[in-house]
Amino acid sequence: MISLAKGQKIDLTKTNPGLTKIFLGLGWDTNKYDGGKDFDLDAVAFLVNTEGKAAGDGAFIFYNNKQDPSGSVVLSGDNLTGAGEGDDESIKINLATVPAEIEKIAICIDIHDAATRSQNFGQVSNAFVRVVNEDNGEEIIRYDLGEDYSIETGLVVAEIYRHSGEWKFSAVGSGFQGGLAALASTYGLNAG
Amino acid sequence: MVNLQKGQKIDLTKTNPGLTTIIAGLGWDPVKSGGGGGGLLGGLFGGGGAPKIDCDASVYLLNKDGKLAQKKNLIYFGNLKSPCGSVRHTGDNLTGDGDGDDEQIHIELARVPADVHRLVFVVNIYDCAKRKQHFGMIKNAFIRIINGANNNELCKFNLSEGYEGKTSLITGEVYRHNGEWKFAALGEATMDPGLESLTRRFV
Repeated sequence: MISLAKGQKIDLTKTNPGLTKIFLGLGWDTNKYDGGKDFDLDAVAFLVNTEGKAAGDGAFIFYNNKQDPSGSVVLSGDNLTGAGEGDDESIKINLATVPAEIEKIAICIDIHDAATRSQNFGQVSNAFVRVVNEDNGEEIIRYDLGEDYSIETGLVVAEIYRHSGEWKFSAVGSGFQGGLAALASTYGLNAG
Repeated sequence: MVNLQKGQKIDLTKTNPGLTTIIAGLGWDPVKSGGGGGGLLGGLFGGGGAPKIDCDASVYLLNKDGKLAQKKNLIYFGNLKSPCGSVRHTGDNLTGDGDGDDEQIHIELARVPADVHRLVFVVNIYDCAKRKQHFGMIKNAFIRIINGANNNELCKFNLSEGYEGKTSLITGEVYRHNGEWKFAALGEATMDPGLESLTRRFV
């Protein structure tokens, strides 16, 4: 298992030959001290083509569209409060069946209703993403975002991308504002 | 000088090389009641005059597991200096009168022991249960960090939520990250009636 820091990129398939199905677990803790409003963090994914745009509306995977048309990227569940240990939400990816025109899959987390609830990632702790080989359950990568954010309301956590015929993982950890609609529009979608 | 919002984290030593001593200044003002006015506050105060609210600032010196390694690592009006000598509380302000900081805590960052990873600054209302007081009756609560060498204000966090009904405020924390010191604007509040109850969270 390799622990990554922000900015690091690492091979997935090159160093793990035969790797096809991966499971991304995302987790976080909120409200260290009691009494805060519930945090509803949503894990989402964008299947992005070589022009840096989401390949159609179906390529925006979120709580109302849990699977892309090819069935390669599947989001599980919607944890509305973040309660519980371990992964709060997860995304399964079958690297072998991702359509050829998809260059990268962006994995993001957004705080639902952040503005109305006056919430931001500075109030979230222990955020992490881990990559597990679904075939043998082995945790390959873990990226703890810990200090990589402050008052952002959304985070582009990681990107899984093609490089020279292989798949790689990039620990991005960069924030965005404006919610899912704003994020979707950076990938060329009108998520009204 | 940076005005912080809740959740914000800011570098202290990285952007201020040579910073060795800081002063955490905490302040608050009691809400002046409008005498005989309607609602909860009017009824409690029975007409006219600002209530005397004794807020106490304290700091917990926590280890990397977020726990108090020893009781004396809680610095408050009854224990004004930390065993390591790096943290010093300048004393108890009983009424909160006056502008500026109501209470101050001096920290010599260079002398904070290696096993202390976080300094969490809290404010309680003394005797709040008996006096029936809570943070809804306090306005303009803030925590600021000042460079102890030249009195420059480095950052300030104005706690702007209502905190109605809450009796303890966890204002902010100074903490280690990658060999540097940072400050996080927390602005959380709990129903702990006093230090004893609040301290149980850190043991």
